[in-house]
Amino acid sequence: MSQEYSDSVDLVNAGTVAYLSGAVLIAALTAVLAQFSIDLPGGVPFSFQPFGVFFAGILLGPVWGGFSMLLYLLVGVAGAPVFSNGTAGVGIALGPTGGFLISYVFAAAAIGLVAHRSLAPVSVDDLPAVGVTAGLVVGSAIIYAIGVPWFAEVQGWTLPRAASFMAPFAVGDAVKIAITVGIVAGGNELLERP
Amino acid sequence: MLTYTPGETLAHRLDPRGKLAVQFAFAIAVFAGPAVPWLPAMLALAVGCLLLAGLSVWQALRAYWVVLLVLLLGPVLGAVTLGPPWIQPERGLDSLRSVVRVVPVLFVSAAFVHSTPVRETRAAIQRTVPGRFGQLLGVGVALTFRFIPVVREDLRRIREATLARGGERRPLRDRVGRITTLALARSMNRADRLSVALQARCFAWNPTLPRLSFAPIDYAVLALAAGLALSPLLWL
Repeated sequence: MSQEYSDSVDLVNAGTVAYLSGAVLIAALTAVLAQFSIDLPGGVPFSFQPFGVFFAGILLGPVWGGFSMLLYLLVGVAGAPVFSNGTAGVGIALGPTGGFLISYVFAAAAIGLVAHRSLAPVSVDDLPAVGVTAGLVVGSAIIYAIGVPWFAEVQGWTLPRAASFMAPFAVGDAVKIAITVGIVAGGNELLERP
Repeated sequence: MLTYTPGETLAHRLDPRGKLAVQFAFAIAVFAGPAVPWLPAMLALAVGCLLLAGLSVWQALRAYWVVLLVLLLGPVLGAVTLGPPWIQPERGLDSLRSVVRVVPVLFVSAAFVHSTPVRETRAAIQRTVPGRFGQLLGVGVALTFRFIPVVREDLRRIREATLARGGERRPLRDRVGRITTLALARSMNRADRLSVALQARCFAWNPTLPRLSFAPIDYAVLALAAGLALSPLLWL
């Protein structure tokens, strides 16, 4: 039995395939890092959650970094247990911490835009530490600017109350920004891509 | 953990596009409507969705217990003040009225997750979002889902290798930097191989997708979604 296909094969160009592959792997890594932590002295967990967002913007630039975080969000909405504590579904994306998840798309795009200063990403080796730091600060500000009012709205709290509840997390995020800048500015050959 | 479970229930047989539409329309209806008597009716509808998918309320509550705990913090911490009178019950009640709306949305979302395989959702995304952007989203969702276990295994190996070399005795910055860099390097390496593999298999803009077709019951589901999405007009 044979079937006739009138359309010829329209191949996706190599550049798009490379960025799509990068976006897929960073989305998968973000999903895994969302459940990953190491214990600090005293048993306090140190979460790796924001690193996925940070590096989506730094490695892939604004367009594909944002796209990568959109993939992460959609995979969770589609039912893969990728949000914190192995949860999934639209209910989580619209729940109290949903604002943070949605903000990742905009934060990764902003980090990429500020760090690379163009829509097309440049080599990580060429990124100035100041630009990366500024990008990460802007990205984190976007995460809190969307996440905290959303959290306040769903919890039925006032904005100052929600902000004071979330303030301790900002301290941890500042440490994570410093670590990320250290990794990028250290000229790590592991992160260079041909 | 709540994930897709194969089954023969009515919810399993429905078209994923209709189910996605109902989820979003349901959320609009719940958040835009008044508390009484609308919210109990929405809760009853959500429980109905759970039962149609072959899930019990208890299973849904157990799957989302962490989120429910965070939601419970709303009214509890909302009622507490840092000075006299220390407790303001009406502020706790305001918060309770807000957080209780999330519960039926979680139930409907649990019914969807339990009854819809990711590849069907991928096809639904690809068929609903127009153009090449929709195609990239559909392929991206399917590939991301496939790579999560692979990346998780990579990270487990990195963690074990770091521990085996006394990594837990190194300063925090060094430990986190090493684990993150290695995880990123492995993932980017996999991305390069995936890119070559996709091109070797003639990754194209016009592939053959699994067929999705609407049965009469799916039109009823779409009508329900439209009704729910328009329900806020009732309260104007």
